[in-house]
Amino acid sequence: MYVANPTAIKALADVVVSSMQRFRIPLTPENYSLWYEYHIGNNRELQRTMDVIISNSADFDETVLHDLYVTFLSSAKEAEIVRETSVNVQDALRNLISVALRVGVDADEFGAALTELAAMEHTKSTDGLRDLVGHLIGESRKMAEKSQVAGARMRESASKIETLERRLESALVEARTDSLTGLANRRFFDSRLRALAGDAMNSGDELSLLMIDVDRFKRVNDTWGHRVGDELLRHLASTLQRTVRREDLVARYGGEEFAVILPQADAAAAIAVGENIRRALASVPVPLDVTPVMPPATVSIGVSCYQPGDPLSEWVGKADAALYRAKQEGRDQVRYIQ
Amino acid sequence: MTTTTTRLYCLVVDDSLVVRKVARRILNSLKFNVDEAENGQVALDLCGTLMPDLILLDWNMPVMSGIEFVRAFREKYGAVSAKVIFCTTQGDVEHIRDAAAAGANDYIIKPFDAAMLRRKIEAVLGIAA
Ligand SMILES: [Mg+2]
Repeated sequence: MYVANPTAIKALADVVVSSMQRFRIPLTPENYSLWYEYHIGNNRELQRTMDVIISNSADFDETVLHDLYVTFLSSAKEAEIVRETSVNVQDALRNLISVALRVGVDADEFGAALTELAAMEHTKSTDGLRDLVGHLIGESRKMAEKSQVAGARMRESASKIETLERRLESALVEARTDSLTGLANRRFFDSRLRALAGDAMNSGDELSLLMIDVDRFKRVNDTWGHRVGDELLRHLASTLQRTVRREDLVARYGGEEFAVILPQADAAAAIAVGENIRRALASVPVPLDVTPVMPPATVSIGVSCYQPGDPLSEWVGKADAALYRAKQEGRDQVRYIQ
Repeated sequence: MTTTTTRLYCLVVDDSLVVRKVARRILNSLKFNVDEAENGQVALDLCGTLMPDLILLDWNMPVMSGIEFVRAFREKYGAVSAKVIFCTTQGDVEHIRDAAAAGANDYIIKPFDAAMLRRKIEAVLGIAA
């Protein structure tokens, strides 16, 4: 269903809003986009799932709505990238096949392999698409090797596909990256937090969280300006990346607040990582060319551990409360709330 | 006037000890009798002894998976009143579709908490748990 003119848009909005009222759904942007998607019918999985809920006359409470949003819509940008790229990949496939046929390479060996690939339902997920592109590169290399005549054209095709692969990767990375610091953004953090908590619930492994806030950041901005403030955030980001364990996820949570998810880390291990961060930062002046010289920046850090069965908001709330306590008790310290 | 309340009986089917423990704690607080099974086969056998009112069902399990269980359960016991809520992880949209088609009544996404599970149960059983 494609809606082009203002009257149709208004009519659709009316349908969406009245349907939301019928189910007593609060009119938030998140909820509106869920209901809009439901009625416009592009997202069949979302529609199917909401139908299951409606037919069971289940409640669309806050949790269900948030689950739906996280599951079906918050990754919509990623899905869009996958969709666009898969169209390009299909084009590249068609080219390869026609080149293969034109230069008379053995159709059994190459054409068939490619046609099979093209027919596969590979292109619906990021991983599937990666596999497909990987196969494509392999197949076109094989073709280039086997056919002297077609060598140059095959190499050209192959390099186009490789470019495509790099573009796919970079677009996917961009969708989950904070542009100022290069860390994971809040959206990606939220989805990883949920997924890792699900894993921890299944495996029984420990899972911890650090919330990190730059001390007196406003003063830095007021004294040296926002550009220096931004530089400080980048300095902190790179210190964080260097200091955490390989398996930890560092994200910019918002403003001057950062977060680290630590899989398989109990409270003691998480506090130790927090202490390493605090010390690494406090021990060196901020490497910025400003006058007067900027003293070392400090951070306050709150730590909490995930308890399976507790709401995620409670877990994050505990780390926030621990962070608040670290601030109250004089900043530049790590506090843990059980 | 005297009232006798029959406790509802829930079978928790999951290969994760943590999930079973969390679910049991929540279900006990909702006044359910609870039994546990670590895979679909054990659950199927237990259903032969005493039919649950509610089955909380994991997707990935060794020996017999959640979807295999739902199919075998619906085939063996037909349209009994037992309701099935299956547990999935974020993004397993295919699972949601397949499980609904196989005869599951609803789903819940891991990680779940007490409030989430209570609301699911109330919706599926049509009661205030
Ligand atoms: Mg499992």
